[in-house]
Amino acid sequence: MSHETINLTLKIWRQPNAEVEGRFEEYKLEGVSTHASFLEMLDILNDELIEEGKEPVAFDHDCREGICGMCGMMINGQAHGPDNETTTCQLHMRRFQHNDKITIEPWRATAFPVIKDLVVDRSAFDRIITAGGYVSVNTGNAPDANTIPIPRKDQQKAMDAASCIGCGACVAACKNASAMLFTSAKVSQLALLPHGKSERGERVLKMVAKMDEEKFGSCTNTGECEAACPAGISLDNIARMNREYLKATLCSTES
Amino acid sequence: MNWLIRALSSSLGKKYVMGITGLLLCGFLITHLAGNLLLFVGAEEFNHYAHTLHEQKALLAVAEVGLFVLFVAHLILAVVTTWENKSARKQDYDVNQSKQGTPLLTFFPHNWMWITGVIVLGFILLHLVDFRLGIRNPGPEGEEPFDKAVRLLRDPITFCAYIAGVIVLGFHLSHGFSSAFQSLGLSHPKYNKFIKCAGTSFAVIVAVGFASFPLWAVLFQ
Repeated sequence: MSHETINLTLKIWRQPNAEVEGRFEEYKLEGVSTHASFLEMLDILNDELIEEGKEPVAFDHDCREGICGMCGMMINGQAHGPDNETTTCQLHMRRFQHNDKITIEPWRATAFPVIKDLVVDRSAFDRIITAGGYVSVNTGNAPDANTIPIPRKDQQKAMDAASCIGCGACVAACKNASAMLFTSAKVSQLALLPHGKSERGERVLKMVAKMDEEKFGSCTNTGECEAACPAGISLDNIARMNREYLKATLCSTES
Repeated sequence: MNWLIRALSSSLGKKYVMGITGLLLCGFLITHLAGNLLLFVGAEEFNHYAHTLHEQKALLAVAEVGLFVLFVAHLILAVVTTWENKSARKQDYDVNQSKQGTPLLTFFPHNWMWITGVIVLGFILLHLVDFRLGIRNPGPEGEEPFDKAVRLLRDPITFCAYIAGVIVLGFHLSHGFSSAFQSLGLSHPKYNKFIKCAGTSFAVIVAVGFASFPLWAVLFQ
């Protein structure tokens, strides 16, 4: 490591609210520790902005340990920055060089309107979940652990799909702003387990309909979502959703 | 029928139709290539094949209407989905950088299926004008199919446009073929590599196969 501290030029998208046009602003930040996380670097910038009496940069964050899915921004054109399977909060400044210029933009999608600066409204994801991403059968008391046998590989696949944190990087990275990876992960995690199977057809029809209604784009199988996903959600889930939807369409009882 | 209309107007339904029509058009490419390869066998064999084919009036009518429907469906859905996908992100990023290691995707523009599709459409229209309608370069009355093919393929504009057209078609297929399987949900770790490989091979075979005809006409006829 050539520098323990680095100087940076930050080009950040500033937009007061959804109604006003945004624009880029450049900031010089000096002496940033390479041990700082990306969000800590933004905290340092905001401290300086506040001291200068300027408006700090708004960005989403919560747990800062890669679990909650709140943080997320386009860093030099890559969702969550250059590392694989890493959220913005887990990205560290040692990944950058002295005197680097870093362009920071919010997720850009019609379905994710900008609230302020780098904060976008991702409630479209919540509405997709509300449309069918749950199990509504009455399960009663917790059954004995071994009464419903679940093969380990199914359980693993369901768990892999369930590791989606709903951050929106898939939508941000997709050239079509498609939410297929997110929706397919949520469809898969329930379709793979016995508890979710009875409603699987209805679920996929409703969730896809909501996804389309929210004006997300469609999938052209470029695989950018999978590459950008901090939770490592696989494209296999999209294929599974395609199968589920086809099956549900052909077998549904609607007229 | 409501369920069918709803399914076909959904994002996934459109991709199914896109995939199925694309794969069926791939099937047409195989038969077209196989028929054309008779050019290499000899003038007599090729003429015999062409005349026999043209005598099947009912079959040809069905085939032509079928191909037209497949093509138009593929085209309309391409326009609709491209427009929808464009409006799903109204403001583009200032910086775009792929997270995939493949230089292919970074080298080609993001909307290369659309761009290659439009070029292939232009090529097909030219091809129809030349061979099916005979407008641009009409030959003498009663010209044999073999002579017509050689004469048209030796035309400098046709030569360049066809070679460029089929190479672009190859690029279109290199993504389209395997992508159709994924769209239809046909993905399995055991077969995925084979499908990808088959898609690339098919793209190369189609591009090289069809490009060989104008080259042959110019070099050896």
